[in-house]
Amino acid sequence: MIRVENLSKIYRPDTLPVRALDGITISIKPGEYVAIMGPSGSGKSTFMNLIGCLDKPTSGSYWLDGEEISQVTADELAFIRNQKIGFVFQNFNLLPRMTALRNVELPMLYAGVNKLKRRELAREALERVGMLDRLDHRPTELSGGQNQRVAIARALVNHPKVLLADEPTGNLDSKTSEEIMNIFTDLHKEDTTIVLVTHEPDIARNSQRIIYFYDGVIEKEELTSSSLTSKSEGRQSS
Amino acid sequence: MNISESIMIALDSIRSNIFRSALTTLGIVIGIAAVIAVVAIGQGGQATVMSEMEKIGSNLFAVYTDWSSDQPRTGNEFTLKDMEAIKEQIPEIKYISPYGYANDQVRGGKNVKSVQILGVSADYAPMRNVTMKEGRFFSSADEQGRRRLAAIDEGLAQELFLKKSAIGEQIVVAGTSLTIIGVVKQEGSIFNMGSSQYVYMPVQVWMDIFPWGYISQMEGTTHDQEDVQSTTEKVVKFLERRHQGVAYMSQTLDQQMEMVGNITGILTLIIGAVAGISLLVGGIGVMNIMLVSVTERTREIGLRMALGARRKDMLIQFLIEAIVLCIIGGIIGMTLGVGGAYLIAKLAKWPPLVSWTTMLLAFAFSAGIGILFGLLPANKASLLDPIEALRRD
Repeated sequence: MIRVENLSKIYRPDTLPVRALDGITISIKPGEYVAIMGPSGSGKSTFMNLIGCLDKPTSGSYWLDGEEISQVTADELAFIRNQKIGFVFQNFNLLPRMTALRNVELPMLYAGVNKLKRRELAREALERVGMLDRLDHRPTELSGGQNQRVAIARALVNHPKVLLADEPTGNLDSKTSEEIMNIFTDLHKEDTTIVLVTHEPDIARNSQRIIYFYDGVIEKEELTSSSLTSKSEGRQSS
Repeated sequence: MNISESIMIALDSIRSNIFRSALTTLGIVIGIAAVIAVVAIGQGGQATVMSEMEKIGSNLFAVYTDWSSDQPRTGNEFTLKDMEAIKEQIPEIKYISPYGYANDQVRGGKNVKSVQILGVSADYAPMRNVTMKEGRFFSSADEQGRRRLAAIDEGLAQELFLKKSAIGEQIVVAGTSLTIIGVVKQEGSIFNMGSSQYVYMPVQVWMDIFPWGYISQMEGTTHDQEDVQSTTEKVVKFLERRHQGVAYMSQTLDQQMEMVGNITGILTLIIGAVAGISLLVGGIGVMNIMLVSVTERTREIGLRMALGARRKDMLIQFLIEAIVLCIIGGIIGMTLGVGGAYLIAKLAKWPPLVSWTTMLLAFAFSAGIGILFGLLPANKASLLDPIEALRRD
């Protein structure tokens, strides 16, 4: 699903070069659930921005869903973000003036889906995260956990190939965090490819594989215990 | 994303900040209202002037000696024989009258008044559409007989003889007494709002009374309006043949109307342009607030981009917001402008002229201002880096 080869990102290459990512190679299979850990400044955010098509690499290649996209135009990147990637952010990033339903409709607005279809699909996505009874609530009227559910519904609504979650439980208490992680686990069971950035080992252990970043390179990788029981494990060996 | 979605988003964002939006559009409202009112009042005034002149008769022309030339005056540039000859030899001419003009005191009843004293022919009344309030204008027979008769303006009649009828009364001009045979009706016209009053008398009598005076010009009308220009030229040539060495000039009412039209048009344009500057200032206000709005909504822009909005989508969204803001202001401004124009026109007693062209122009102009001043903020929004934008608090 995701394959990066020798991926590098250098900020300010002319004046004061910062090697945020230094030639990393990673491959993530369809339906795989990967966690990325590392201290701040290790390059994990840069990596997420690159695979989220929000930024272009300085060098190296990136295949997403079989397509080489390290050098496509800004508009094509916007299209890929819209169609193939779902983002979940630490601070939810919901538009405060809009209801849950309309927040979830937002990605479809840019996909050119008509109004009725948008409403229908947004309801379905909210139902999937258990928010059907809060359709007309605005973010300020919802709890942190509820807001993150709405955000997950928004990330799922265009049926992306990959779900990218950047510290999705960073602003939540431990009980709510667990609820959110259960949603991710459920999504994983439904074959969604998930890449999750966290610095909490407990959260990372929900994934199948943990990749540790340090100083712009991959320090180590390890399979978690949940990878042994997961069905995608079987697919990996086949 | 289509345009109607963008308009919905724009209306949403305008509504969510209604007080600020209202203040922002105020500049546009005032600008458009000022332009519309000024143009409407200006055009109404122009139309009024034109229709007043139209009433005088548009086949009217005047011939006079060239004031600017340094030829010595003989006092013989226009003789009564000239008038007769012109009328005989130029068949296009319908009426013709010499024009002797003096400014003197007139005594009548127990009052004395300073007035304009005109020596004209009997043709003057039909030529200038003079209508009588009482009595009659003098006739050619009166003229031939050098009868000491006069017609006076109704305002003057009132001032001299108060409520009494002036007909049959005597007035004294420069020591000569004349009998009043007619009172001329004065129409409520913007040209003589109680200004000058006239005494009309046969030109022969006028020459007797003012022996030092001379006829400085003549007026005439043609049967057909199309002939005015050519006939005027014929009259000038004819006079120049009869009076070697005298330069004559002419003017038709058409030319005068054109001149007046040009002057009022230019005035309207100048005042309109001043009002237009306030529109420009309003536009800058919109630009300011839109720039603030882009900064305020940086995160929103970043998020929309992360969810698949292209730079073009963000450009269009903010551009439409600016345009919608300006058009709303434009519509309110138009309403106020038209209302204001009617109010002022009512006070000034002339019809306001609000043309569809003005309205359409104002509408297009406010939309244009939206585009012009929305472009910079919208461009700024579209050039934001989504990563930076998402990181912003």
